[in-house]
Order: sequence, then C-alpha cells, then structure tokens
Amino acid sequence: MTALMYAIKLAKEHQAHATVVYVVNTKALSDLVKSGIFVAVERDEYQRDLYEDADRHLRHARHLAEEKGVEIDTVKLEGSVHVVVKELVKNLGADLLILGGISDIRSRRDELASETDRMMRTAPCPVLVVRDDDDIWDEFER
Amino acid sequence: MNVLEALEKELIKVPLESSEKYAIIRELVDVAARAKGYDGDALLDAILARERLGSTGIGNGIAIPHAKSDAVDKLTMVIGISRIPVDFESIDNQKARIFFLVIAPSKEASAHVELLASIARSCASGIFRRMLEQAKDADEVIQLFMD
Repeated sequence: MTALMYAIKLAKEHQAHATVVYVVNTKALSDLVKSGIFVAVERDEYQRDLYEDADRHLRHARHLAEEKGVEIDTVKLEGSVHVVVKELVKNLGADLLILGGISDIRSRRDELASETDRMMRTAPCPVLVVRDDDDIWDEFER
Repeated sequence: MNVLEALEKELIKVPLESSEKYAIIRELVDVAARAKGYDGDALLDAILARERLGSTGIGNGIAIPHAKSDAVDKLTMVIGISRIPVDFESIDNQKARIFFLVIAPSKEASAHVELLASIARSCASGIFRRMLEQAKDADEVIQLFMD
C-alpha cells in the first residue's frame, strides 16, 4: 500500500507515467502442490481467490490514483513474481521500480527467499524501496 | 507474510499433550481460540473439512493443517511441537512432531499462500527440523525462526 501511494505521489509531482502491477504468484501455488500442502482442487480454489485479490487491489490502485488526478496503467500478471516483474520492467523501459513489502524482522532464511529482495537484486533499473511507514499515509492525504 | 511476521508467543505450544491426529488438531485449535477469542468449533469444522480432502501431513515429520475461515479476523498461525511422534497419515508414512495450524480469513488468500510457502521453505532443512523438534519452549521456537 505504501509503495503504491508513494508511486502515485511521485508520478504526480514529476508528471511521470506510472504502471501498477500485481503478480498472482502461481509459482508459489505450484510449489505448495508439489510439497503436498495443497491438493489440486485447493490450488484451483486459491488461484481463483488470488485473481480476485488482484482485481480488488488494482481497482483500489485506480481509485487512489483518480483521487490524486494521476493517470495510471494497471497490469495483472502471473508466475514467479521477480521473474515476471523483471520482464515487465524491461518491456516497458521503466526508469524506476518502486517496491514495498519490506518488514522489520527478517531471518537469513527468509531474506534468501523474499521476492522483494530478489526484485531488488535483479531489476534492470534503479529501485526505490518504500518502508511501511505512517508518514506516507499522512503525506498522501495532504 | 512470512513465518516471522505470523509468529506470536501465545500461539506456540511446546510440548503438545495429545498423541493422536484429531486430538492434536483440536489442541492447536484450542490454542488459537483461547488466545484470540475465536469460535473454536467453527475453526475445527473448517480444518476438518480441509483434512477430508487429504492429509496435511506433508512428510519429514511435519503437518500443516490449514483452512480458510471467516471465524478469524486475521491470518493466524499456531505452532505445536510434540514430544511423541504422531501418526498424521502423512504422505511418507512418517510420524509427525512439528505442527503448524494456519487459518486465514477468505479475503487474505495471497497472504495465506505466502505464509504456507514460507513454512515449507523454513522447514526444508533437516537440521532446522531436528532443532525445532528439540525446542524446549515457545521462546526457543521463536529464536530458531529468527536465526
């Protein structure tokens, strides 16, 4: 959420064009089936839920952008998050990738697997990481 | 959402007292119900409905009973460690000692999937699983995930 708000603010201040992307993590779903945590029927149900989640988040993004008078594109993708985001950034020729989802506590184990970390490391452009900070909510409301 | 973000000391029970699959599930559900004031029967129904599709004993001594239920207001994870290996009808026929009960509201599908994937990743290491099995209390469990 904070990354989205920051991106909308930045796009407004710099008259930049923003593309908001939501990736349905179908790779994680497949991994859960492979590891025996999900049965196939469950995977299908969760996949539907994740697509609904994506639509809801992207609708909300469009709503927030409209509130600020900023025009955005929304893109829904599926697959392994860092892989498809990297591809999208390349295809769009984006000059900045804005990421959220950084939490305070991290174990070494999770650091290695975090999609945010992977996106930071593999992005073909500069990356801005937005922390989950109350100040951004206040700034956005101003 | 990863394991660390979902960890709460009051939602960890070491050791579990039960020694049979459905009693273990009930015990884990009770931990969540007592700590958070959730409707235990509703949680149990959701977990058992999922269990009927196939055992959530995923092998290597681990079971992850899980379900969607709007009886919880946020993604909730209970960890239980048993001193006695329990027959959980696991896919590798191995008895389980490490249990993660995960219940998510229906609107949190994405976080639910991320958490389950994070549990699977965390427990992929045999050394980590052995250390978890040996944990003496909730603090040790938390420390193991923090390391």
